[in-house]
Amino acid sequence: METLILWALVLVFTGAFLAQVATRVRLIAAAPNTFSVDHLGVRIGRLLLDVVLQRKTIGERPLAGLAHALVFWGFVAFGGYTVAEFLFGLGIADVTGTPWFHAYRIVLTPFAVAVLAGITYLLIRRAFFRPAGLGPTVSVESIVIAVFIVALMATFLLGWRLDESSPAGRANWWVHMLVILAFLALIPASKHFHLVLSPVTVFLKSPELGSVPNLDFEKEQVGLEAVRDLGSKAVLDAFTCVECGRCEVNCPAWEAGKALNPKTLILQTQDALLAGNREARLGDIYTEAVLWQCTTCGACENQCPVGIEHLPLIVGARRGLVSNGDAPGYLGSVYNHLERRGNIWGLGYDQREKFVAGAALETFDPARHDVLVWLGCAGAFEADFQKSLRSLFEILRARNVRFGVLSKERCTGDPAKRTGNEYMFQELAKANIEDLRAAGPKRILTSCPHCVKTIGADYQRLGYDVEVVHSAVFVEQITRDLRREGTRRDSVTFHDPCYLGRYGGHVDEPRELLTRFGGEIREPVRNRENPYCCGAGGGLLFADKEEEPGSRISDVRFRQLRETGAGTVVTACPFCSIMLKGAQTSAPGAEIEFVDLMTYVNGQLAKR
Amino acid sequence: MILVIAEQRGGTLNRTTWETIAAAQQIAAGRPITIVLPGASVGTAARELATAAVAEVLTVESPALEPYTPDGYTAALQSAIEQLSPSLVLLPHTYQTRDFAPKLAARLNRPIITDVIAFKTTGGQSTFARPVFQGKLTAEVAPQGPAPHFVTVQVGAFRPDQAERGATPAPVRALPVNVEAGAIRQKPEAPFQQAKQAVDLSQAARIVSVGRGIKEQANIAVAQALADALGAELAASRPICDSGWLPMERQVGSSGQTVAPKLYLALGISGAIQHLVGMKGAHTIVAINKDPDAPIFEVADYGIVGDLFELVPALVKALKDS
Repeated sequence: METLILWALVLVFTGAFLAQVATRVRLIAAAPNTFSVDHLGVRIGRLLLDVVLQRKTIGERPLAGLAHALVFWGFVAFGGYTVAEFLFGLGIADVTGTPWFHAYRIVLTPFAVAVLAGITYLLIRRAFFRPAGLGPTVSVESIVIAVFIVALMATFLLGWRLDESSPAGRANWWVHMLVILAFLALIPASKHFHLVLSPVTVFLKSPELGSVPNLDFEKEQVGLEAVRDLGSKAVLDAFTCVECGRCEVNCPAWEAGKALNPKTLILQTQDALLAGNREARLGDIYTEAVLWQCTTCGACENQCPVGIEHLPLIVGARRGLVSNGDAPGYLGSVYNHLERRGNIWGLGYDQREKFVAGAALETFDPARHDVLVWLGCAGAFEADFQKSLRSLFEILRARNVRFGVLSKERCTGDPAKRTGNEYMFQELAKANIEDLRAAGPKRILTSCPHCVKTIGADYQRLGYDVEVVHSAVFVEQITRDLRREGTRRDSVTFHDPCYLGRYGGHVDEPRELLTRFGGEIREPVRNRENPYCCGAGGGLLFADKEEEPGSRISDVRFRQLRETGAGTVVTACPFCSIMLKGAQTSAPGAEIEFVDLMTYVNGQLAKR
Repeated sequence: MILVIAEQRGGTLNRTTWETIAAAQQIAAGRPITIVLPGASVGTAARELATAAVAEVLTVESPALEPYTPDGYTAALQSAIEQLSPSLVLLPHTYQTRDFAPKLAARLNRPIITDVIAFKTTGGQSTFARPVFQGKLTAEVAPQGPAPHFVTVQVGAFRPDQAERGATPAPVRALPVNVEAGAIRQKPEAPFQQAKQAVDLSQAARIVSVGRGIKEQANIAVAQALADALGAELAASRPICDSGWLPMERQVGSSGQTVAPKLYLALGISGAIQHLVGMKGAHTIVAINKDPDAPIFEVADYGIVGDLFELVPALVKALKDS
């Protein structure tokens, strides 16, 4: 009789589970295929670290992360137990009487205690402390699930005390089984679907942060306009979201009080997919303004523990808008400048020529030069960054590095790429690639982290493969035998550029340089691989403040840097420098010196 | 014969018409000049044009020409030119001309030279100078092929007060043309101004702009005095507007307005790149700054390294004395 009842229940609940899963699988299958399994080694490594070892879950929130890890590892350990109990209950096979199973139960006991400890902590945290990232209201569903987990562990542990064949023992067994079945039916429509999907999503996440594949215009690709254009990975992402809010609390736009919330974006995608209107415009689903508040700093994607990729979604949706002429007004003049002058400022080429002549730079010749120095549009036109480049040239000359520059450069296309003007990006990229191929460098050196990413990653997808290195990394290598003399230390703080620290992973080289040349680093909040953005990325260097709610991202970062108490802020990106200096001019009484890393190093070398 | 196509709106002549008449008189070298004035009811404007030293003023009137449409103007002027067979057709290089003149020239299969700033005549053949590459270079262009040749004259290239007046008014007559209302495909809406801003710095001929060097809000008055003396608009860089010392709409730069005045006076502005991109189009940039290394001096035509609180009052005094 009990067997029959269980059979009936299993069929009903498993049916409910499968029906809900099928809806979602169909949506994934119907989407244009964007799954990729390249760089298999990287993917497997990440699967081990982020899923098995829970790196990202623990990394940002050690206590909650550890509690989650205990629950996760416990669940995995319990897998065999659950299967065995169902096989027994359904009358298929009975291994529960074997000594092996007895031993397994003994092994599971500490796991059960660990899960109980973990889930109790998480339950209290969620119900009473409610951290910001979890949203303003208590999720009833999460509380129910947590109570379920407590019940599962309690019934397991009670099983030791109760005689299995006694009525109390049977009741205990039934509670355990019923909770599992109810849990199963709740999973697909809740954020607990991540139990099933996240290993897959983490595995399928691109090995490269912020990977936004180039569009193929031959195939008439124009970006993401409507729900129907969302790729299979984006659809999978939407159903994997666990709503932990790591993306939200790390998003500089959200922290500065803007409307953009990466978590909301993913949940809106999920709702739109389930609503089934394939023709719904993404610009309507997300509200357009939000899409233009992203600096492409990559914090959301990088912090996500379940492998969601926000950047292809945001940039993809921007592409959809741009190809319909719906870019915000300020980008109009940026695009105009890029098209007519090849730089974002709209300044004449003569300015770059003046700088090149003034700094006595040679035109690159592979026979005579070791590296090609890419000036970038800030290097060609912005006074402070030109100073930084002159410092770099002095360092290179002092270390006998032979270098040259191109006779003409255009913008790499970074602002066009990140704002979704893919056509303009490819026009600029192809012209630059042609010039670079003709010049034939083996190594490109630049002081702009955005140029590193664009030439190093985006140009590679257009078939141009070259080593691109940021000056912080290069100069660290060529000055290892040098030290600043004396014992005096300057108190400095270092602002990690997103495209150097988070994208490039180069967080130690700039610090090593600063320490080597007499700096005592006072770390700001949000540093190293998870810096807080300066606000310039993603084309926002030119955004109008008045059109947006909240403060400027640059003002927030400036305050964070100022709070370190260091009198000198060292940057390693022209955009960061422009934004933060701008923030300083609007902060009365703040007299902080902004120095580019190269200027700092060269200044210390000169004092030797 | 040289034909000048005059421009009016609601019966009021566009002042660039007089610039074009001056250009025509200088090019003419004895050849007769005829002015054509298209519109619906342009008698008064035609009588005003008749004061010029020209052979004749012809009105091309049709209800279909009000309001302006490129189809209507092209049809009417094609008919007028075919009747008159001029050797040269001059137009002011206004937005309206830019709209219909290329179409008109193409319709007649004749060359057009646009945005002309000067001309040269040697041996009966005229060449016309026009700026290229954003005004970095000037190209001299000679029209070829059968007449008429079309030339549009840059606004401001010729002075309206140099247009010669005749001793007696030139004869005014109506040139009959047939414009079929049905052939006009455009349906103009009432004119409107998009996002009307209280302060439109982009149209200002002179701008006095203040930066952080002004130190405190009370000192804005120093710059205001100079702006008043110069008849200039007051503008500012970002920190001034962020502090609320001047309204946001007076901010020049990438997150404010983009300006291109004849004179831009930068007081205590260091010249961050976001500011420079907003004012780089200014014809003459004068910068006053205490810091000789300020980037503003990179773009300034005239730079004074000094204290603006000493220099500006002196400038105001000098302007008032002169």
